[in-house]
Amino acid sequence: MKRSDFVAIAALAAVFAVFPLVVPTALVNIGVYALIYALTAIGLTLLMGLAGQVSLGHAAFFAIGAYTQAILVTRYGVPLPAAAIAAVGLAMLAALLIGLPLLRLRGHFLALATLGLGIVLAVSVNEMEFTGATTGIFGIPKPEFGGRLYDSPEEYFWLMAPIVLVGLLLARGIVESRIGRALSAVNDSEVAAESLGVDTFRLRLQVFVLSAGYAGLGGVFYAHWLGVVSPSAAHFSMSVEFLLISVLGGLGTVWGALTGAFAVEFLDEAMREFIPVLVPGAAGEVQLVGFGIVLVLIVVLLPGGLHQATRRLFARRRPAAVPVSSGDGEPEPRRAARPERGSPLLEVRGLTKRFGGVVAVDDVSLDVRAGEIVALIGPNGAGKTTCFNMISGVLEPTSGEVTVNGVRTDGRKPHVFARAGATRTFQNLQVFRSSTVLGNVKVGRHLRSRAGLLRGALTLPARAEERMITAAAVRCLDAVGLAEHAGQMAVDLPFGLQRRMEIARALALEPDLLLLDEPMAGLSGAERRELAALLRRLREDGMAIVLVEHDVAAVLSLADRVAVLDDGKLIAFGPPDEVRQDPAVIAAYLGEDADVRD
Amino acid sequence: MADLLQFVVAGLAQGGAYALIAIGFVSIFAVSGVINLAQGEFAALAGLCAISAAGAGLPLLPALLVAVAVVAAVAIAIERLAIRPVRRMTTLTSIILTLGVSTALKAVMLLIWGPQGHTLRAFPGSDLTVAGVSIRAQELWILAACALVGGAVWWFYERTLHGKALRACSEQPVAARLIGISLTKASLVSFGIAGVTGAVAGVVTSPIYSSSWEIGLTLGLKGFVAATLGGLLSVRGAILGGILLGVLENLVAGYVATGLRDAVAFVVLIAILLARPGGLVKHTEARV
Amino acid sequence: MFETRGLRSGYDNLEVLRGVDLSLAEGELVALLGANGAGKTTLLRTVSGLLRPFGGTVRLDGRDIGGLPAEKVAAAGLAHVPENRLVFPSLTVTDNLALGAWTRPRTRAEDIERMLDLFPRLRQRLGQPAGTLSGGEQQMLAIARGLMARPKVLVLDEPSLGLAPKVVGDIFAALARLRHELTILLVEQNARAAFKVADRVLVMDRGKIVMSGTPEELADDAQIKQAYLGGGF
Repeated sequence: MKRSDFVAIAALAAVFAVFPLVVPTALVNIGVYALIYALTAIGLTLLMGLAGQVSLGHAAFFAIGAYTQAILVTRYGVPLPAAAIAAVGLAMLAALLIGLPLLRLRGHFLALATLGLGIVLAVSVNEMEFTGATTGIFGIPKPEFGGRLYDSPEEYFWLMAPIVLVGLLLARGIVESRIGRALSAVNDSEVAAESLGVDTFRLRLQVFVLSAGYAGLGGVFYAHWLGVVSPSAAHFSMSVEFLLISVLGGLGTVWGALTGAFAVEFLDEAMREFIPVLVPGAAGEVQLVGFGIVLVLIVVLLPGGLHQATRRLFARRRPAAVPVSSGDGEPEPRRAARPERGSPLLEVRGLTKRFGGVVAVDDVSLDVRAGEIVALIGPNGAGKTTCFNMISGVLEPTSGEVTVNGVRTDGRKPHVFARAGATRTFQNLQVFRSSTVLGNVKVGRHLRSRAGLLRGALTLPARAEERMITAAAVRCLDAVGLAEHAGQMAVDLPFGLQRRMEIARALALEPDLLLLDEPMAGLSGAERRELAALLRRLREDGMAIVLVEHDVAAVLSLADRVAVLDDGKLIAFGPPDEVRQDPAVIAAYLGEDADVRD
Repeated sequence: MADLLQFVVAGLAQGGAYALIAIGFVSIFAVSGVINLAQGEFAALAGLCAISAAGAGLPLLPALLVAVAVVAAVAIAIERLAIRPVRRMTTLTSIILTLGVSTALKAVMLLIWGPQGHTLRAFPGSDLTVAGVSIRAQELWILAACALVGGAVWWFYERTLHGKALRACSEQPVAARLIGISLTKASLVSFGIAGVTGAVAGVVTSPIYSSSWEIGLTLGLKGFVAATLGGLLSVRGAILGGILLGVLENLVAGYVATGLRDAVAFVVLIAILLARPGGLVKHTEARV
Repeated sequence: MFETRGLRSGYDNLEVLRGVDLSLAEGELVALLGANGAGKTTLLRTVSGLLRPFGGTVRLDGRDIGGLPAEKVAAAGLAHVPENRLVFPSLTVTDNLALGAWTRPRTRAEDIERMLDLFPRLRQRLGQPAGTLSGGEQQMLAIARGLMARPKVLVLDEPSLGLAPKVVGDIFAALARLRHELTILLVEQNARAAFKVADRVLVMDRGKIVMSGTPEELADDAQIKQAYLGGGF
């Protein structure tokens, strides 16, 4: 979390403190609604901005919160705070039950399932006696704490303001935390983030559940403010309103939830006034036209929302090349010792992949030991990258086993491979576009740090760890000679440097086993020699390296053993000198030549 | 036994409507990866248009044609005005965007036709009873429309070069462009098809399920579930998925509780996605 | 006939082509070599309109086609047969070919016949979905599909990728037959095969053309030998 965040929060606190004093009560009333909806929208913003998912039925979680609070307080006399905890908990539980099956799938399924949940809930509360059917539940008291009754718009605004601010602060903390960094990486390249150990599904689920919690809390405040909870709390138009708030404010930013909420609430009010004037006899719900059109216009014209618009007004500012100190004597994070040199690290047995009728990789078995460099070569299309993808968990093998450090990883996600102590780079670079070079490498520290959602939200406990992550990331950049580029946006680097950055990112994981897919491609002669020197140093440290490479000369001078793939089959595996003499290898390489000689 | 058959018949008819809407989802999603949440609104709008056209004195058939034409035009306008201008369309963006479109359409319908439901007059023909099961003429019309329109769409994709060009865009968009097929035109056509199938669903169901500004949402969700059942990329799958969902819903409503009807789609969606994320229908075309 | 001047292109902020000048005479077959990441595929994607150039010009028969979208470039007479073939898997071979003539439907039937003469192996496969063909047959189909539009220029991206030597031989034999009928720009990793059919060879490195000459001239170049003709094996 940055200093500017604290400044912003302090400024907001001051504004909120005087707001009810200087504006008419009618506007304060709108402000109260804006705060209630802002609280809900913060969660939605996190969900969309961080997890890259959307909920079309957020009103369901809002309504769960509101109804639970109403029922517990009016029927069972539960004290407000205890009821609120239960209400928020129930909303989160509902999200967990939905997210558990659906977040494993890609894209749009969560959106549609939440839409479905919204409909089902709206229908159920309308039907059930328990929730008061169409009339809902009324008689919810205004909150009272320490003898002070929060019953006027001004009082209620003051009650809510600190809670919204804390909610914002926590959300900001998460965005800037290790978890936020990992999720932002997932949005840029899921496969790369997974390969660095990020468990996409788990993190997305956490964010979804958290976002439901925010909605539930919004519902709690809604119930107390209105004094009555009716099925309209679960109505679809509420979900649209929450969505509009988040989109209007700007998806990438939690501050957007607040600006969006105030903008939408005032817009709503204005439309309530104006539409009946424009269209006589129009029903109140006609403001939906406005919502719909605004939503479309924003997506088309202003995909970044109000946040983007204000940023555009000011000069476009790229993070300047911040000088990064390399750690100020922070204790170096030590991890368990590397496996002993020569001990088996990677075992591949009978690895096979069929695409339709084509066998891309056919029964490949090989083993890699700690402290050696193994090169995988073969003609284009021989199945090298497919092999890599299966070993690293990106692709599920049709059959065969992959064992890393004694852990079976075949057919599981890449983060399992990373957790077993191995990672990879990509032939077509997988750069995290929205962060700096340093930010990219910090994602590599994901598994070597521990702060979860809670510690990230609270910011301070995670501080020391953040410093260590930065220090380690800088060391990795140093190792590949990129330290001076640390503050640049990763996408602005030239190709060759991006490649080195990917290697630094992989090294940040401190893997026992490193898979490099064509690391030399696109590098100049000098860069290649430097890279080769780096790989030799890593081997000295006991790391095992497997690389796919086209530069045969480089491979033969660098590798301890060479595996040759041809047409999906492993045709040779041994020391370079042996492989060089192998008749099958010669045939595979020269055969092409023999055939086209007409 | 008669009960069972009765539920199945009602389910088939309802499923026919879901199937038509599902075809619209598939048609658009296959070409552009857009999930069109306004799909159900097409049906609502068509029903209401047909009611107004018939109310203005048009005979039934011209009224239906007018309604279908209006909705197809609306669908095409949506593609032009809302979908095409977006530079980086992701599925997430498309959901938010079409939600906006759907909301605006709903509100326009509310403005024009008011909150109450309207019913189009029944199509000609008399209801009949077969083996103790009463079948409404309108239900037969729905099934006939589903068969006719579904068959026509299927024929278009399978038998005509233009249909095959759309499939080409869906399977290998890059290669399609490289041989001169315009993806923007393909997207426009796919919206046109979705408009027509949605509209047909709307007009044939109006006489028994009635039309109002808010039916589009649930109808759209059901159509999406049906399309998902079929794997989201196959017309055949969408039709089967729709019928299956309709029957299942009516069985649950009949044997368990009427109130649970709308929950069925939701539960089915989750169950199917868990068991077979690729849908129930196996299709060879791998769209990567 | 076909030329680029100072062509710059890439992805978002990343410039891959840094001023490419090349010029192909009518009927010439030019092979383009270069290491992975040199920008060969980016060059092809830019001239065929899949990528918008950052700057520079692309001319086909005197007409500026730089910046046109891919479907317009195709109609202007440039056929790009992409890497990994990208046939339409659920459509039959006949349908794939028929769609190839999308921009000039009149000569469709006649050209299908012509393609089947060029690649006789496709004849037995006409009714089969393209996804069930072998890799070599798919490559033949992709080339034939590109030729169906009767392009003035054919650009081919790695037609030998992942194919058995025998099939590569068949494909290059077909290319040799097409030689002088139309202008061909061929990107190829299999340098030996490319040297056999090309009139001229260009070498690309980090976004620029760095060498140009006849196959005979370049085959003697020590650097080329080492990098592409595989001195090691």
